[in-house]
Amino acid sequence: MDFTLKIWRQENRKAKGRFETYKISNISPDCSFLEMLDILNESLVNKLSHPVCFDNDCREGICGMCGMYINGHPHGPDKGVTTCQLYMRKFTDGETITIEPWRARPFPIIRDLIVDRTALDKIIQEGGYVSATTGGVPDGNAILISKHKADEAMDSASCIGCGACVAACKNASAMLFVSAKVSQLALLPQGKPEAAIRVQNMVAKMDDLGFGNCTNTYACEAECPKQIKRSNIARMNREFICAKVGSEESTKR
Amino acid sequence: MKLIQFASITKKIALASFGLFLLLFLPVHLGINLCLLREDGGEWYRNASHFMGTNYIVKVFEIVLMACVLLHIVVAILLTIENFMARPVRYKVKTKTKTPFMSRYMIWTGGIVACFLVLHFINFYFVKLDIVEGKYSASIEKVDKIFQEKAMKLQSGELNEKDQAALMAQYQAISQITPEKMDNSKKNMVNLTKEEVETYCGKDFKHAEPDFYTMSQELFAKKSYSFIYILVFLALGFHLYHAINSLAQTFGLSHKKYSPVIEWVSVIYAVVVPIGFAIIPLWIMLAK
Amino acid sequence: MNTLNSKIPEGQLSEKWTKYKASQKLVNPANKRKLDVIVVGTGLAGSSAAASLGALGFNVKIFCISDSPRRAHSIAAQGGINAAKNYQNDGDSVDRLFYDTIKGGDYRAREANVYRLAEVSNSIIDQCVAQGVPFARDYAGMLDNRSFGGAQVSRTFYAKGQTGQQLLLGAYSALSKEIKAGTVKMYERREMMDLVVVDGRARGIITRNLQNGEIERWGAHAVVIATGGYGNVYYLSTNAMNCNGSAAVQCYHKGAFFANPCYVQIHPTCIPVKGEYQSKLTLMSESLRNDGRIWVPKKIEDAQAIREGKLKPTEIAEEDRDYYLERRYPAFGNLVPRDIASRAAKERCDAGYGVGATGFAVYLDFKSAIERLGKDKVEERYGNLFQMYEEIVAVNPYENPMMIYPAVHYTMGGLWVDYELQTTIPGLFAAGEANFSDHGANRLGASALMQGLADGYFVLPYTMQNYLSDQIYQSKISTETEEFANAEKSVKEKLEKIMAIKGEKTVDSLQRALGHIMWEYVGMGRNRENLQKAIPMLENLKKEFWSNVRVTGDLNSLNPELEKAIRLADHIELAQIMAKDALQREESCGGHFREEYVTEEGEAKRNDQDFMFVGVWEYKGKDQEPVMHKEDLKYEFINVQQRNYK
Repeated sequence: MDFTLKIWRQENRKAKGRFETYKISNISPDCSFLEMLDILNESLVNKLSHPVCFDNDCREGICGMCGMYINGHPHGPDKGVTTCQLYMRKFTDGETITIEPWRARPFPIIRDLIVDRTALDKIIQEGGYVSATTGGVPDGNAILISKHKADEAMDSASCIGCGACVAACKNASAMLFVSAKVSQLALLPQGKPEAAIRVQNMVAKMDDLGFGNCTNTYACEAECPKQIKRSNIARMNREFICAKVGSEESTKR
Repeated sequence: MKLIQFASITKKIALASFGLFLLLFLPVHLGINLCLLREDGGEWYRNASHFMGTNYIVKVFEIVLMACVLLHIVVAILLTIENFMARPVRYKVKTKTKTPFMSRYMIWTGGIVACFLVLHFINFYFVKLDIVEGKYSASIEKVDKIFQEKAMKLQSGELNEKDQAALMAQYQAISQITPEKMDNSKKNMVNLTKEEVETYCGKDFKHAEPDFYTMSQELFAKKSYSFIYILVFLALGFHLYHAINSLAQTFGLSHKKYSPVIEWVSVIYAVVVPIGFAIIPLWIMLAK
Repeated sequence: MNTLNSKIPEGQLSEKWTKYKASQKLVNPANKRKLDVIVVGTGLAGSSAAASLGALGFNVKIFCISDSPRRAHSIAAQGGINAAKNYQNDGDSVDRLFYDTIKGGDYRAREANVYRLAEVSNSIIDQCVAQGVPFARDYAGMLDNRSFGGAQVSRTFYAKGQTGQQLLLGAYSALSKEIKAGTVKMYERREMMDLVVVDGRARGIITRNLQNGEIERWGAHAVVIATGGYGNVYYLSTNAMNCNGSAAVQCYHKGAFFANPCYVQIHPTCIPVKGEYQSKLTLMSESLRNDGRIWVPKKIEDAQAIREGKLKPTEIAEEDRDYYLERRYPAFGNLVPRDIASRAAKERCDAGYGVGATGFAVYLDFKSAIERLGKDKVEERYGNLFQMYEEIVAVNPYENPMMIYPAVHYTMGGLWVDYELQTTIPGLFAAGEANFSDHGANRLGASALMQGLADGYFVLPYTMQNYLSDQIYQSKISTETEEFANAEKSVKEKLEKIMAIKGEKTVDSLQRALGHIMWEYVGMGRNRENLQKAIPMLENLKKEFWSNVRVTGDLNSLNPELEKAIRLADHIELAQIMAKDALQREESCGGHFREEYVTEEGEAKRNDQDFMFVGVWEYKGKDQEPVMHKEDLKYEFINVQQRNYK
């Protein structure tokens, strides 16, 4: 298969970026999208130019490291997969593929298609945990958790932190990401003691970092490679209201 | 960048709450409007308008309602700006993500409705506030009553010369115009202009009210207006289509069993209410 | 002279760890604040160690190669984590878990370490539950278990097919909490470039900031290496792209001994290689072997026809199929341990019976399972795996047999550590896959997660204090000393040297060449002849690298080519000791299979008489041969037996 690639190139955070066009041919349909970029990069190195930089790691769709905006879709046109699990057979021969980095104020570009997503970690640091220190915890079966709740918590917890929800959202909102973590811990009894303060702190941090507001368009849900559901956002809203109205604890601790 | 210093979810809930109030008011308005369909010369409609215009509880709600309209619009605009600024560099390829119908265009459908609202206020609400001139009417009994009052006053002879002359003029004017102002289609009503209202009653509206019935009839007589009106309610329908669903989501009402119900309520509301409004100009057009 | 002191506490096996903890030295809270610890790597072991040490009150700096700890490859573990909870009342116990792990490791692991691992396994589950890890539960609301290869009890805890992810996120959340508390400082997108040793003790590291190429110095009272394994030496493996053994090699160069480099685990159920462009291999859960039947055509001409695309597997009659695992191992059938299943597949493919376009694949067939259980049941059990397979290969596994082939998966070898997980350099600790300690010659399924977390949560926080208690008189480590300056200088020189080569070969092509040598000659089945060939080939590759590699871009910016080149240089070095270690170990055990040392039936034949030791390699200098030391393994508490799965 042959493709024309339009790729965003930008040397560093401050440099002015531009699109560059590359032609690539003889790509096997079984080739993954990142392997296609590997092939392009090897040819660029052979021509003594700088390869296209992109984040990637596990290449099996679980680490959340990869992510680019391909032809108007975060992680490309295939549903429920990350960029590394996208195969070239999903494109048509001769197609022009435009590849852009995630675009959001809190995700500055580091180089080419690599963006800085540490903002997501900063939100987690505000409360995306149970404050249990090592040791001194009760037996795993001491607190029973209904299977239904445990399964739901698992579904929320399967977020890989790739940032596709932010990239997809027209407002660059991180609500799906934050709500997945808030939901997971709100569903489990272990997360309950800190629930009220957690949701307030995490939302406050999310706002401070410059993510947009949620307007319920659910683009996040549509593009999430792990199919995290929007009901998580509803749950977070509920948690937030309950915390603001019902709890005496307020944002900063 | 924050234009309003509240948590994003707080802002979202505020916007939804203002919207919720508007959602609750719409059926009330629709109920009044549907009175236009009665061929009673506007009796029910006038009564309803009179109630809405004079009841003190309604007047309190009117203030809340207007605040909600204003806040809903202002907050929506500010949030849209905030949201736009969250992505300073836009994508080159427009998004191809499939999202629920119209959810992305709330600000646009809302904007259309807001523009219409301005027109609507000029046509009706501002007339009531006496900012804009409209059409007025009073019942014959009322006109008669004023006539009698003025006659009594003239006879009492308590007035100085100047006032006496003015009152005399008003008295004569009323006695002259009553028969030709009579509108047989409307039961015992007299159509008045603003000037006439002032002439008869001073600036006192106690006895004459803006005649919304006539005004709406006249507006709907214009095809262009009816056309715009229907289009606006189409836009409102799209706006509402996402509204109730979205509201439930914002208030955290998501449940495997009840969410589908809310979904249906949302659809039904978004279809029934705008159709209810749009049916009026269609009816009037067809009736002619 | 044997320099290796494994510091195993005296006494009964079951009392060793308790006694150790009771008698070890501690650091008081006021002093903990003054002590700095560096942790390199943010996987299960690194994150959990940093979080636990931070919670104790030490000043921890943690270095992450990616943008976030959540990217670490621990996240990709699917199956589960073992613990001797005996919740199922099926006869499990710490002793049994210990025994299974030792046996699974083919009696090449240290008894005391493995026992400790089994002992703390239960605490890990409790810890993770407390962190909010959503383990699978049964309808009573209690933790659920599944069974796994190499064990007769159900002791594996799991969270859907994403146990590794959930455990890593648990450790990551504990780490995040400490970062917020200020006890741990996080440095992301940093790669360790060198270890700094001052007066014989590990005192810091040199890193490269991957975003801007800056070389940075960091000092600390102790350093923990938790950088995972070196499976990427084989180029194609199930490891992530950023996994590398570079940090371990740097420590090896600075005097840390490297143990058992030849022990590599090959996973039997991976999706086969499709073409030259392939960058990594995807693992399919081992659980597929519970219901799938593995076969190749009986007739070589059928295999030929399939490879040429003239014949479909579904067209081959039942009697023309060779279910070779069931044929060779009637008792265990398709459920033999990983190493045995892998070798059997390779044997068939080498003999010309392989299928797929390349001939390096065997069939994993669910036809009889679908007939027996119905499609729905099969979908319920394996639906997501089937979906993943179809996504990658574009073949529907319900209608056609899956194709699988073994791939490099895990390295049991690593930095040599004593009972305290301390390497031969005082103050340098190694945890998780980066050390060699617990799996012997072969790791059982669901034990990697257990070991990583055991090291991080429950071993290092104790044993490091024993070391650090002596360090309270040592003031903050200055990075302005000669040792740091020299280390930084040598790193810079090395990088400049690589950049200056400006040769013809891309890093990727050299990496593929290395992978090819390793897979062909130091792969699943090894023999003297091949290993002897591999050693000079690796030497040549090393020369080729240092004279002909092409790295574009520059030093002072984000440069993935340079990153890969640095890692490749270290991987070649590792490959060399792997080959040497494989050559010296004249027996077949666990993941190390020497074709010369087999039983009459062609099975692996261990030589306990001569090789019951850990092969520990010491670096002697740039152009010097490394020297191997032996740590003899003494089995005092269990009987050593031959593994038998027939």
